Amino acid sequence: MKKGFFRLAPRRDSAERRFVFGTVSPLILYMAFWTLLPLLWGFVLAFFEFNARQAGGPFLGLGGDNPFVGLQHFRDMLNFSPDAPLTVRQFHIGVKITLLFAFLDVPLNLAITLPLAVMIESVHARLKPVFRTIFFLPVLAPSVGVAIMWGYIYHPQRGLLNAILGLFTGKLVGINWVGDPHLVIGGVPIALFAIVIAYLWQDMGYNLVIFIAALQGIPKSLKDAARIDGASAWQMFSRIIVPLLMPTIMLTAILTMISAFQVFDIIQVMTDGGPNNQTQVLLLNIYSYAFRYQRMGWAAAVSLFLFLLVLAISLIQSRMLRAEWEY
Amino acid sequence: MSFAAIPVQNERRIKFRLRMAYFLLIPLSLIDLLPFVWMIFGSFKSGAEIRQIPPTFFPQQFTLDNYRTVLSEPSLPLMTFYRNSAIIAIANVIQVLFTSSLFGYIFAKFSFKGKKSLYWFILATMMIPSQVTMIPGYLILAKLKLINKLWALILPSAIDAFGIFLFHQFAHSIPNELLDAARVDGASEFQIYRRIVLPQFGPALATFGMLTFMFNWNAYLWPLIVLTEQNVRTLPIILTWYSTRMGNKYNLTMAAAVLVVLPVLFVFTLVQRWIVEGITLSGMKG
Repeated sequence: MKKGFFRLAPRRDSAERRFVFGTVSPLILYMAFWTLLPLLWGFVLAFFEFNARQAGGPFLGLGGDNPFVGLQHFRDMLNFSPDAPLTVRQFHIGVKITLLFAFLDVPLNLAITLPLAVMIESVHARLKPVFRTIFFLPVLAPSVGVAIMWGYIYHPQRGLLNAILGLFTGKLVGINWVGDPHLVIGGVPIALFAIVIAYLWQDMGYNLVIFIAALQGIPKSLKDAARIDGASAWQMFSRIIVPLLMPTIMLTAILTMISAFQVFDIIQVMTDGGPNNQTQVLLLNIYSYAFRYQRMGWAAAVSLFLFLLVLAISLIQSRMLRAEWEY
Repeated sequence: MSFAAIPVQNERRIKFRLRMAYFLLIPLSLIDLLPFVWMIFGSFKSGAEIRQIPPTFFPQQFTLDNYRTVLSEPSLPLMTFYRNSAIIAIANVIQVLFTSSLFGYIFAKFSFKGKKSLYWFILATMMIPSQVTMIPGYLILAKLKLINKLWALILPSAIDAFGIFLFHQFAHSIPNELLDAARVDGASEFQIYRRIVLPQFGPALATFGMLTFMFNWNAYLWPLIVLTEQNVRTLPIILTWYSTRMGNKYNLTMAAAVLVVLPVLFVFTLVQRWIVEGITLSGMKG
């Protein structure tokens, strides 16, 4: 109605339309080329035996020397017999190690970051940012630098960890933390656990700042009420903080798990999957098969598997978030 | 028990709790800093000292030789790698801030055919882990002959789904009256975006820009795949290359690590307020 008042209106409309058309159509073309095409291509590759060095057929190098194999890769993934090909056995190791990594990392992460956030929230306002900065510092460092620093800490002769253990035991300690395949406790390779610790050290800061922000959102009246009622620190934590933060805790748990499924940098630099495949996570698997051994079809199939794993977790997440969380 | 006794007892309890928090936090933060300290001390030890068993903690003979060696190493022109990393990170910050703010604004304030489905498609791409598109992405870049070009790390990352989502949220709070007033005054649509919308995004631009810079600066996997020639490599790749070559000469590796990690870490620490804000805003993971 108002538009009729302005003579300019029709011209304006066309200017707006031109603006939208001029910006959104490049966006669509860009997304089609750099997002949709790789996505479809990656999906298609999973059904081929593909080596980028071979000429293959005329369309995207598919066919010819890079033959269509149908569901072969996925059938191979389900081949659990002991005489399965090495690639398949490595895939199974990859799944196991990835899950182990995530299930070690996530609970440890939450068990450290949540109480730490509560503690940081409880100190004097002036010192809060100091502590937060200290624990957040490793997030800002490149993961490659973190891997190299921790490699030096874990070194059997020159490392800090063995030196500290030596101080306590009075003996020379020469444990090869990330290089000895015989170090396994309760089915968990120590090399993997050592990497989880280094990864945790770097990654903690994320969840810490998220929890600190969430804690600041708890109504002060609730905290005061609990205080006046004489709640103990543990009661405060278990009866007030944890229930109120449940949605945040769930969300961070899922996000931490998703990023743990995709761990790569720190492992590639510290052990490259060793010793004896004990830290061979899926993404390392994918990288090796695609770019070292040129088996891109197989690697694409494994990527698809990893994608479905992440998708499943994300769906569980959205389910949980949809559930009602009442204060 | 009298009524007055309760608050007094509580007060004591609260004080005790505060003391406990410091009692735990101070040693924990020192432990947290230990890896950095170990790296820095290692970089000042002599080659002989680094071979000592058991190792020393403080450098006994403080030396700068390692830094001299690293900086004069002809196969390690650090400035080149700093430049490569900077070009990639800055280019990505500029393009991602531009596209995210522009399309966030457009999706929030304009209506056009297929808008909803396009927006949902963009949001859905956030769910796709990057390794799914890693292999075909490499093949596309190979076809375009962009392997070993810095463009390989810039061209495919112009659109950031999360960025569009973020600015979409912010754009809603810009009053339509403001935009319409500018239209009546005869401003072109792009001028409106440039002069009115962009300034409104101020803090969000800083926050998201820092986050984007950090992710690009620290990125490892994708540069590892598409940059295989020495002269185009970025700092993280060069650091692992050097550390593998130096093997057990940790004094040199640590000096290189300090040179690669600390300067940027220092800058990031100065601007961490924005980075922290960005992370809490998004619950985003690296």
